[in-house]
Amino acid sequence: MDVLDDLMAAARTGDAAAYRQFLAEVAVRVRSRLASKIGADSELEDLVQEVLIAVHQKRHTHDPSRPVAPWLNAIAGYKLIDHWRRRGRSPIELDDSADMAVAADSMAGLDVDSLLDQLPDHQAEAIRLTHIDGLTSSEAGEQLGVGTSAMKLRVHRGLNRLKALIAEDEA
Amino acid sequence: MSTTDDLIEQLAASAPPPQRSLGRFLLPLAMAMLLCTFGVAMLLEGAFAPAASDGLAPIMVKWGFSLALLAMSAGALWAIGQPGRRTSEATRALAIPFALVALLLVLELVVGGRPFPGTTWQRCLIAMAMMSPLAFAGAIMAARWLAPTQLRRAGMVAGLYGGAVAMTAYVPFCPGHGMAYLAVFYCLPILAMAGLGWILGPRLLRW
Repeated sequence: MDVLDDLMAAARTGDAAAYRQFLAEVAVRVRSRLASKIGADSELEDLVQEVLIAVHQKRHTHDPSRPVAPWLNAIAGYKLIDHWRRRGRSPIELDDSADMAVAADSMAGLDVDSLLDQLPDHQAEAIRLTHIDGLTSSEAGEQLGVGTSAMKLRVHRGLNRLKALIAEDEA
Repeated sequence: MSTTDDLIEQLAASAPPPQRSLGRFLLPLAMAMLLCTFGVAMLLEGAFAPAASDGLAPIMVKWGFSLALLAMSAGALWAIGQPGRRTSEATRALAIPFALVALLLVLELVVGGRPFPGTTWQRCLIAMAMMSPLAFAGAIMAARWLAPTQLRRAGMVAGLYGGAVAMTAYVPFCPGHGMAYLAVFYCLPILAMAGLGWILGPRLLRW
């Protein structure tokens, strides 16, 4: 019998320790299941947390007479698709280190403000907060009221657009 | 990683799990049914008046269809709301009442049709258009308490439930009879509501 079934059964009787162990096991399984489908680590961890919250909020929809694994997999699959839907159809590899590694001096001599003005407002704001004001993605996200992943995506897309603009200027 | 561990601690420390409860799922469905039944009864007069001239048979045929669809769609919605369940059979089975109507319609057309569409079809369509969304809303509330992972399918089945409830509520006031009437003024509005549910499902049911 799957350990998840035992832990869920114990949690149902009000055993908080079993429930904690259940959630930890869920996190491990979901992380390994989704790792190959999600690019950046931070995004994977966001998604693992979303699945944990969903499992917690919807745990009354699990039928005790059935195994937990198919129920959990369906929730994880749903949250993965929802995540892709929110982020847009094309799965983009979000590489934080590459985005953060745009060295300050690579923009030296450029009129950054006028370049940023050419970006959509939300992307320009995202870059200002993270690359000029020096906030982390999660701090900037909090300030603008969007999630960390969405924030990183804005920065990523904004930087790509900036690079394209600079290339156009140089050409 | 530590934030995930913190989250697990927080979740584990919260209240004990709510019970899995069929009653909690059925409550909004029953409320929708009551609301539509009383709504129609307050707006219209002469419940079962058509039975005086035609007997109870036409009402029973219509109720046979609508109550079967109502029960089957509620059952399918219950299954669709529980992640990891196989739901394709329950969903496909919802075509059976429609297939039966289609079969009987063909027989009726072969034998010789009844007068169509009669005089009260507009009232019938208005009742369906007013009551279906109400009952649909109840089905959406019931589904939102669960965790549907196929939102279009869940929305479509909620639409079928909405249409079936509206029909069940209006049937005692309906003097129209014949399969052509049932197909055009009941089945088509129900399918339209199901289509609307299919479209709106991802918006209304996302969790």
